[in-house]
Amino acid sequence: MHLSDDDIVRSISAHSPEGIEALYDRYGGLAHTVALRILSDRGAAEDVVQESFLAVWRRGSTFQPGRGSLRSWICTIVRNRAIDRLRGDRHRTRLDSPIEGESIEPTVSDPWAAVAVELSAEEVRKALAELPAEQRQTIELAYYGGFSQSEIATKMEVPLGTVKGRVRIALDKLRASLADRMETSWPTQ
Amino acid sequence: MADPMSCEEATDLLALEAVGALEPADRELVERHLATCAPCTHAAAEYADLASLLPAALDLVPPPARLRRQLMAQVYAEATAPSRPSWWRRLVAAIPAGRPFTAIGAVAVVAAIVVGIYAVAGRNATSTSVTYTVSGTTATGTLSVDTTARQAVLTVKGLSALPSSEVYEVWLIPPQGAPKGAAFLSPGLGGGPWTAVMGGSMAGYTSIAATVEPAGGSPTPSNTEVLSGQLTVS
Repeated sequence: MHLSDDDIVRSISAHSPEGIEALYDRYGGLAHTVALRILSDRGAAEDVVQESFLAVWRRGSTFQPGRGSLRSWICTIVRNRAIDRLRGDRHRTRLDSPIEGESIEPTVSDPWAAVAVELSAEEVRKALAELPAEQRQTIELAYYGGFSQSEIATKMEVPLGTVKGRVRIALDKLRASLADRMETSWPTQ
Repeated sequence: MADPMSCEEATDLLALEAVGALEPADRELVERHLATCAPCTHAAAEYADLASLLPAALDLVPPPARLRRQLMAQVYAEATAPSRPSWWRRLVAAIPAGRPFTAIGAVAVVAAIVVGIYAVAGRNATSTSVTYTVSGTTATGTLSVDTTARQAVLTVKGLSALPSSEVYEVWLIPPQGAPKGAAFLSPGLGGGPWTAVMGGSMAGYTSIAATVEPAGGSPTPSNTEVLSGQLTVS
């Protein structure tokens, strides 16, 4: 039986083991890939994946539909834990969702969640390769290295504003490039 | 408190947040802005989803099968563990600390214990268990499914010992779709039967099988079936 991401969220919210099982079956591979990319250590990556899914199980879903897809939510949880482990910074407080706050939930169709399913790794690689090297490097230092804006500025010897601009421009370009690729693969709707 | 941030400023910070580079001090400002700005909340979601596509460019490295087993074993163990202290612990906790244990108190304790035993017995009486038979060329066994506790125990005799590089992996097989690796069989002490404990519902599966797999398990069963059985009541 195929469960939608919404079904999985409902199941996790109901504290059902099957919800965690379904979440793991769908995103466990991605979670492991992210953790391994950040930590470069199989044992540590497995620990982080297990800790992340257990945290979801124990705390229930803090997922907010208006704040991104289930995919990005679990990616963020795993990434944050892997980065904390990488930096040995266990006292650092991180948030599981990108930004917690009052729950405002506009209707979001999760277009990029659908893109993630449809696009191949090769297409995402090509879209990333089209970015200027300094933009790509900036988002990779942040996402996989766990460096903050000021740390990246120091590392790359550029002003803080430049880092901010590079990240936003890089993501905007990525969005445009992936949207183009989606249109190419789906010529008519 | 007034929100001093414009949507343009917030958008820059949302992009930083999506890739994990936002400074903690800026996060507070962004949160305040998002609390009153639906368009930026939408933008935050979109940036977060875009950032989550970054790993899509990586070659997927599936986790070992044992990781799923470990995770779900822990989850099911916690799911079936009592969420409240046991009745006798609550009883002990109810006795005032340091107070002499009076005869009346002792009678109350005994009475509570009797009530507790009846309560436990009553709970067990509602437990439903179904047993299925499994067999192979040399192996025979049973699968006992406790539908109340959502737990199943597979007990098998007649299996040969394996080298440390191999395991007997148990698969639950749905009518359609891929078999699900559910557990590993553990050898009994002193040549006793092999056993595997599985958590969760067996609903949706029509048969069970065990195969020989490399240590750590396999994503899909190999062609080395040592036993199988139907999960239907005959």
